[in-house]
Amino acid sequence: MDIFARAHLSRIAALALASASFLAVTAAEAKEITIWCWDPNFNVAIMKEAGARYTKTHPDVTFNVVDFAKTDVEQKLQTGLASGTADALPDIVLIEDYGAQKYLQSFPGAFAALSGTVDYSGFAPYKVEVMTVDGQVYGMPFDSGVTGLYYRKDYLEQAGFKPEDMQNLTWDRFIEIGQQVEAKTGKKMIGLDPNDAGLVRIIMQSAGQWYFDKEGKANITGNPALKAAVETVGKIMSANIYKPANGWSDWVGTFTSGDVASVVTGVWITGTVKAQPDQAGKWGVAPIPALSIEGATHASNLGGSSWYVLESSAEKAEAIDFLNEIYGKDIDFYQKILQDRGAVGSLLAARSGAAYEAADPFFGGEKVWQNFSDWLAKVPSVNYGIFTNEADLAVTAQLPALTQGTPVDEALKAIDAEVAGHIQ
Amino acid sequence: MALARRGGIGRYYDVNGWLFVAPALGLIALFMVYPIFWSLWMSFQSGRGMMMKFAGFGNIVRLWNDAVFIKALTNTMTYFVVQVPIMILLALILASLLNNPRLLGRAFFRTAIFLPCVTSLVAYSVLFKGMFAFDGIVNSTLQAIGIIASPIPWQTHPFWAKALVIIAITWRWTGYNMIFYLAALQNIDRSIYEVARIDGVPAWARFTHITIPLLKPVILFTTVISTIGTLQLFDEVYNLTEGKGGPSNATLTLSLYIYNLTFRFMPNFGYAATVSYVIVILVAILAFLQFFMARERDK
Repeated sequence: MDIFARAHLSRIAALALASASFLAVTAAEAKEITIWCWDPNFNVAIMKEAGARYTKTHPDVTFNVVDFAKTDVEQKLQTGLASGTADALPDIVLIEDYGAQKYLQSFPGAFAALSGTVDYSGFAPYKVEVMTVDGQVYGMPFDSGVTGLYYRKDYLEQAGFKPEDMQNLTWDRFIEIGQQVEAKTGKKMIGLDPNDAGLVRIIMQSAGQWYFDKEGKANITGNPALKAAVETVGKIMSANIYKPANGWSDWVGTFTSGDVASVVTGVWITGTVKAQPDQAGKWGVAPIPALSIEGATHASNLGGSSWYVLESSAEKAEAIDFLNEIYGKDIDFYQKILQDRGAVGSLLAARSGAAYEAADPFFGGEKVWQNFSDWLAKVPSVNYGIFTNEADLAVTAQLPALTQGTPVDEALKAIDAEVAGHIQ
Repeated sequence: MALARRGGIGRYYDVNGWLFVAPALGLIALFMVYPIFWSLWMSFQSGRGMMMKFAGFGNIVRLWNDAVFIKALTNTMTYFVVQVPIMILLALILASLLNNPRLLGRAFFRTAIFLPCVTSLVAYSVLFKGMFAFDGIVNSTLQAIGIIASPIPWQTHPFWAKALVIIAITWRWTGYNMIFYLAALQNIDRSIYEVARIDGVPAWARFTHITIPLLKPVILFTTVISTIGTLQLFDEVYNLTEGKGGPSNATLTLSLYIYNLTFRFMPNFGYAATVSYVIVILVAILAFLQFFMARERDK
């Protein structure tokens, strides 16, 4: 035994050394890309799919997709950027379009410029616009938030409305229908979080305006679209056809529980709507109602986000190549995420794929994707500016007063004053 | 030979002492003193994110014209003026009830009322948010026993949202204050109560004329502690309103506003530092009041 051990000792040692160095080599070669994003049914799942596709062709690159709440992603990112240490930051981060300019302008040099690597001519122009600063384009355009009116066919039928009656509504008609739905079925028409200005933004953008004009200056008191949007939300609240919600999950609960008859929001909600198998076949999708002012359309946008690579990332080159390979070129990938997750990407070439033509049995065989794709082309382009969060809070601060009879112009003046205080 | 010069020993001795406290002093300087002065310096700067510029008194001028700041300050003061007296009074009553040696299950009630204090701020806020939802258990219970006809919009109406925050912090902190009073009550000589009873002083008068005056220093202490806590109120409001201080800024506190200025809005660290110094000054004023009142008592 002893002799055996002694005889083989050197060989064992050599083997141990060899395997140790082998491990060291693989450790040095394997690259892990860390990604932060926020919706497990949506962008998290999509990023995992994208990662799996890239690892197939590049086995040395693995992915660590971290799932936070959206506000946590934003706040962790902001803290990390402000502290100036790169250790706590991921390699790729998802940023909502409303906030993109804020980060790019207030933390110059923190994000990697991708112009020159990525061919931006293939993407929806409004998406590229929000990630451009001084002629440099940062980030990889991801999903669009083109909006739709999701409605419960069964409830509306009970109230005497057919799918044809839901097409091309005005907001006034929408409220009338809501009142009848409540009278006949006892269900509220829509879930509404009075602390969230999302609906105001949807309505405002559908008429081609935003809180800010093209130069980024506040556009509040003289903004007919904002006025009409605030008025409309006020009317919905006064008519009491809404179920109040507090916070995102509560709001999602209003329709997953079947308590409301419709949802007006971005296409990215499709995955959540479809996550209720017992509601299959009961939903329909129509264009959102329009305002009755000049420039009003039935198309708008809510949210939508893009991927950004951190300049300080150790795996910067791999991260950029990964985004460019999958999100910039892989048409098949876009078909897959559309079918599985309802993600309408902003790569224009992806729209000609088969998945966009398909009918969805969950929506009773409607060709919903084609509809969304058509509406996307009609979304009025606006400048989100860098103070959307501030303006949002100013708007929601005025909503309760509005339902208690404060004139809209006075509310707009108060919003204007609050926003002006923040823009410095 | 070292013994020959006393001064030398003194110096040697001093150096050793300083060496012992040096690590602690160094850490305090690094993590307390330096940030305090740095934030003071920051409060004179303004700008977007990392692009900070010296702004002089610009931030202080901005405070005066900032309606949201005024709103946050008023809310914070409202919480303080409404909630602190309610809680202190409630804690006093509970403490004197639970101090009664004839009460059955005293230990159980003491534990039960103190228990909220050991729960995490976030956990109980989330719990309250669920319980006080529009169709939550509180509304349905109140409706079932016929107190209210239609559900109360706890989280969407400005008045009720404020009431909810006050209910929540009262639930969380009453037991904490009660413990101070219970401890102080043990130190009151029983014979004082006995004499009062023999003289035929009724129970409520014993409470107002003996218990409260004798507890005065503790009441003062808990009031100041609660005041400082209320001025720094953050976790409850953040979790109940998803960090927005809604509806219509009705629950926004100074701490939450500082947080929003730093993390939610276009980051303006300078202005946020200025607002945080407002809290520092308020706390300083209240601490001064405490010393002032304590000194008066000694005379």
